Amino acid sequence: MSPAARVATGLPANPLAGRGLRLAAAAIVVVNGFFPAVWILLTSLKTETELVRKPITYWPRNLTLDNYVRAFTDQPLLRFLGNSLAVALASTALSLVVAALAAYAIARLNLRRRQLILTAIVASSMFPLVTLLVPIFETMRALNLLNTYTALVLPYTVLNLPVCTLVLASFFEGIPRDLENAAMIDGCTRVGALWRVVVPLAAPGVFTAGILAFVNAWDEFLLALSLNANASMRTLPVGITLYQGEFTFPWPTISAALVVAIVPIAVLIALFQERVVGGLTQGGMKG
Amino acid sequence: MQRFRLAFAALACAALAIAAVAPVANAATTLRVFSGGANQRPDLMRKLFDQYEAAHPGIKIDIETGGATSELQRQYLSTVLNAKDSAIDIYMIDIVNPAQYFGAGWLEPLDAYIGKADAVMKPYLPVYLQADVVDGKVAAMPGFADAMFMYYRKDLLERYHIAEPKTWDELAAASKTIQAGEKNPNLQGLSIQGAPIEGAVCTFLLPYWSQGREFNDASGKMTLDKTAAVKGLDKWLAMVDQGVIKRNVAEVKTPDTVNEFKAGQVIFAINWGFAWDRFQADKDSTVQGKVGVMPLPAMAGGKSATCVGGWQWAVSAFSKNKAEAAKLVQFLATPASSKFLAIEGSLLPTYQGVYVDPDVVKAVPWFKDAANVVIAGKNRPMSRDYGQVSDVIRTTTSAVLARSRTPEEGVAEIQSKLARVMR
Amino acid sequence: MAILDRVRDPGERTLAVVLLAPAFALLALIVVYPIGRIIYQSFFDARLSGGHGHRFVGLDNYRIAFHDTEFWTATWHTVAITLITVPAALVVGLGLALLANLPFRRRWPVRLALLLPWAMPLAFAGLIFAWFFHTEYGIVNDVVRRLGAGGEPTMWLLRPGWAFAAVCVTIVWKTSSFMALILLAGLTMIPRSLYEAAEVDGASHFQQFREITLPMLMPSIVVALIFRTITALQTFDIPYTMTRGGPADATETLAMLIHKTTIDYLDVGYGSTLAVAMFVLSLAVTTVYLRRLARTP
Repeated sequence: MSPAARVATGLPANPLAGRGLRLAAAAIVVVNGFFPAVWILLTSLKTETELVRKPITYWPRNLTLDNYVRAFTDQPLLRFLGNSLAVALASTALSLVVAALAAYAIARLNLRRRQLILTAIVASSMFPLVTLLVPIFETMRALNLLNTYTALVLPYTVLNLPVCTLVLASFFEGIPRDLENAAMIDGCTRVGALWRVVVPLAAPGVFTAGILAFVNAWDEFLLALSLNANASMRTLPVGITLYQGEFTFPWPTISAALVVAIVPIAVLIALFQERVVGGLTQGGMKG
Repeated sequence: MQRFRLAFAALACAALAIAAVAPVANAATTLRVFSGGANQRPDLMRKLFDQYEAAHPGIKIDIETGGATSELQRQYLSTVLNAKDSAIDIYMIDIVNPAQYFGAGWLEPLDAYIGKADAVMKPYLPVYLQADVVDGKVAAMPGFADAMFMYYRKDLLERYHIAEPKTWDELAAASKTIQAGEKNPNLQGLSIQGAPIEGAVCTFLLPYWSQGREFNDASGKMTLDKTAAVKGLDKWLAMVDQGVIKRNVAEVKTPDTVNEFKAGQVIFAINWGFAWDRFQADKDSTVQGKVGVMPLPAMAGGKSATCVGGWQWAVSAFSKNKAEAAKLVQFLATPASSKFLAIEGSLLPTYQGVYVDPDVVKAVPWFKDAANVVIAGKNRPMSRDYGQVSDVIRTTTSAVLARSRTPEEGVAEIQSKLARVMR
Repeated sequence: MAILDRVRDPGERTLAVVLLAPAFALLALIVVYPIGRIIYQSFFDARLSGGHGHRFVGLDNYRIAFHDTEFWTATWHTVAITLITVPAALVVGLGLALLANLPFRRRWPVRLALLLPWAMPLAFAGLIFAWFFHTEYGIVNDVVRRLGAGGEPTMWLLRPGWAFAAVCVTIVWKTSSFMALILLAGLTMIPRSLYEAAEVDGASHFQQFREITLPMLMPSIVVALIFRTITALQTFDIPYTMTRGGPADATETLAMLIHKTTIDYLDVGYGSTLAVAMFVLSLAVTTVYLRRLARTP
C-alpha cells in the first residue's frame, strides 16, 4: 500500500513495515480470538471417551456427527436460539434509543448536575445481580409478565443502559456542534438534529454500543433462569445447561450446541463488521 | 301483577344463568411439577404422570424441567420460593434438601394429607425416617434412591486371582499388584471425587463412617471425632502417595470417574448408581461385561459404610392445589411406582421388598447386590443449614486432597466453622 | 422523524427532562425497588434456613462483616483481580485494536477474531479455560510437554497462586475483546487529517501515537475503563466455573461470597449487607472516573 493510501485510511503512516509483520499481527489476533472456538468445534466431533485419552488428541480419532444430532434432539436448541435472538435484539434496540436520548442530554445540554445524573445511571450496575433477582422477579410477577419476552427485555435494557449511555455520550461529545447548528438553522428541531445528524455521525459508537448491549443480553443467565423458566421461553445460556445432568457433563454434545449457537452470531458479526468498526468516512471526518 | 311476573321471570333467568356458569365440582386441575434435569429421568416421570392422569380424570400434570443440576435448581428455587411463587406445586429435591427447605418454610408438611411421620415412613428404607422427616413432620416422600457403590474390573481381579478387598489397605495392595502387572502408566488404582462438588462431602465421610463414627447425633449436634477424620483423610493421601489414586484427585468430578472407567483406565471406582448402565450400555464403553459391584471397603477393623443419595417429592408451601398435589406425591411414592422406575430406568427402589421382586431382579440383576449396600447406607448431616455444612466440608476436603491444607488443618477448620452452625 | 420536526422546539430545561425521562422511568421500574429492598434488608437478620425469622438488628450485620475474615479475603481477591486484569485487558485490548486497525485486504477474519471471544457465553468460557488448564487433559500442559519441559505436569488449578493466575488470564482473554472493540471504534473516529499534518511535520509513528492517538482515544479509554472496572469488581462467572473459588477459597471473589451467602446459605440479610459493601466499593472507584468524564469538554 502506498504511503499516500495508507495515510488516506486515517492511520499513522508506516505503522509496521512490510507484509510479513502485518501477517504476523493478523495471526496473533486471529489465533487469540479463534482458538477456543476451534477447540469447541473439534470437540463437537469427538466421542466422550476420546476426551480422556492420554496424551490428548486434537484432531478427532473417530469422527462422529452424533453430537450434532443429539444437540438438536435432546433439547429444543433452535427454540433457545430464537428466544435469545428475540430478546437480545429487542433489548438492544430499546437500549440504544433510550440511551441515545439520555446521552444527547448529557453531552450537549448544560446540565448542572451532570455528574450526579451520570452516577445515577451507572449506579444501577454496581449491585450484584444475584441480590436483585428476587425483587425483580416479584415486579415481573406483579405485572403478569413472567415467561414473556418483555420480562427479560426490560431488565436487559436497564442493565445495558449505563454502558450504552456512556459510550454514546462520549461519541456525541466528539462530534463538532457546527453540524447540528447548521441543521437547526435549516429548520430542524434539536431532537430532529439528534436523529438526522448526530447519530449517523456517531455510527461507530452506535454500533459499538449496540454490540455491547447485544452480547450482554445474549450472555445473561441468572435473570433468564428465574424469569423465563417455561420450556418454550428459555434462552440459550440457560438452555445449554440442560444438556448436563447431575452426574454427567457431555462436553461433545454441549460443544455441538455451542457451535450451533455461535455460528449465527459469527455470521452476523462478519456481515456487519464493516459497519461495526468503521471504514466509515462520513462527511464530517474529512475536516 | 305485571311487575311481579317480570320480577319472577328475571329471577328465574338469573338462577338459570348462575347454574349454567357455576363451577363444576371437579373442573380440571393442573398440577405443575418441577422434576429436575436429565439424570432424574423426566421421561419416566412423564409415564408415571400419564398413568395418574388416566386414573384421575380432571387432573392434568405439566412437567417443568429447569436446573439440570442440584446447584442450578437451588439457584432457581431460591429465587422463586423466596418470592413465594405459587406457579409450581410439586418439587423433586435432593435427599439432602428437605431439612433446609422445610426450615425455610418452603415445603408443606404432608402429615395432614398422608399420615403421621412414623407410620408413613415405616415401609421405606431406614434412611428416609431421618432425611424426609423434619421436626417430626413429613417434609417429603421418597422418589427413588441412590448410593455410592464400589465398581471394579472383574476381569482384572480374576486375572491376578485377587478376591474382593474388604479394607482400604487390601484395595491398595490389590491395585499395586494389578498396576505392576499391567504395565499401563495410565491405569489408576482407585478413582474418587475430590473436586469441591457435593460428592466430596461423601469422600470425606466414607472413611470416617467406616471407622464407626458419626458426624452428628439425632438432634443435629455435631459430634466430629477429629482423630478419626484426620485418619480418614490421611488414608486417601496415603493412597495418592502410593500411586493408587492420581495426584490431581482434587480435579476429579463424577463424570470424570465414569469416563475414565469406561475408557478402561481405572481398576476401582466409587460412583453413584447411574454409572452401572453407563459402563454396560454406552456405545463407547470398553468395559462392557467386565464390571463388578461390591460394598465399599472399610478402614481396618471397621465396617463398610456408604453415602445415600436419591430424590424426594415435596409439595410447595405456596401451592394452590395442596390436597391434589399431596395425593400425587403419595402415588409417586408407592411400591408400584418404585417398581416401575426400577424396571424401566434402573432407578434404585425406596422399598426393601422391591429389590427382590422377581420382575425387578429379572430386569436389573445387579440390584440383588445393590440392595444390601443401599440399605446399610447413611445420610449426610441433615441440617437446616445444609448449604453451609456442605460448602465447608466439600471445600475443605478438596483443599486437603489438593494438599493446600494438611488433614489436621482441614479438620480443625471444619470443626470451627461448623461448630456454630450445628449445635 | 418528520413528526419530531413538527413539534415546537421546547426550551432546554424541558428538553433535558424529556430526554432523560425514558431512562429514569426504566430505572425506576426495574431497579429502584430492588435496590431499596437490598438496603432495607441489610439491617435485618433474615436467615431463611435456620427459621430464625426476620429480626431488625440495625448495624449488626455491618459489624459482623467488618470482623469477617472471609469477607475481607474475598474483597482483597476482588481488588487484586481488578488491579491486575483491568490494566492488562487495556494493554492487550489496545494492542489488539491497533493490530486490527491495520490495513488488510480481507478485514473480516481479524474483526471476527476480535469479537468471537464474546459470542461464547461467559460461563462456558470459564469451563473451557478450566479444561485448558486441566492437569491431564489440558492444552497448556500438553504444549509444555511437547516443548520438552519434562517433570511432573503442573496442577495449575490446584495451587492457590497458579489458580489465581489462570483465572486472571482467562478474564483478560475474555475482556480484552471488550476493550478492543471500544478502542477500535474510537480509533476510527480520529480524523486522518491530523495524521497527515503530523506526517508532513516529520513526526515518527511513535510520536504520532503518543501525541495524536492516545489523547484522542482518552474518552474511549475512560469509558472502557469504567465498565471494565465495575464488571471486574463483580467478577463471578469465571472463577466460579473454573475453580468454584478453590483451592480453599483462594480464588473466591466478593460476588461469589454474596452468591454463596444468598443462595446456598439462604442468609438474605447478610447477603444484602455484602451487596451494599460491594456497591460502596464500586461507587468509590468509579467516582474517580466519572469526575474525569464529566469534566471532559
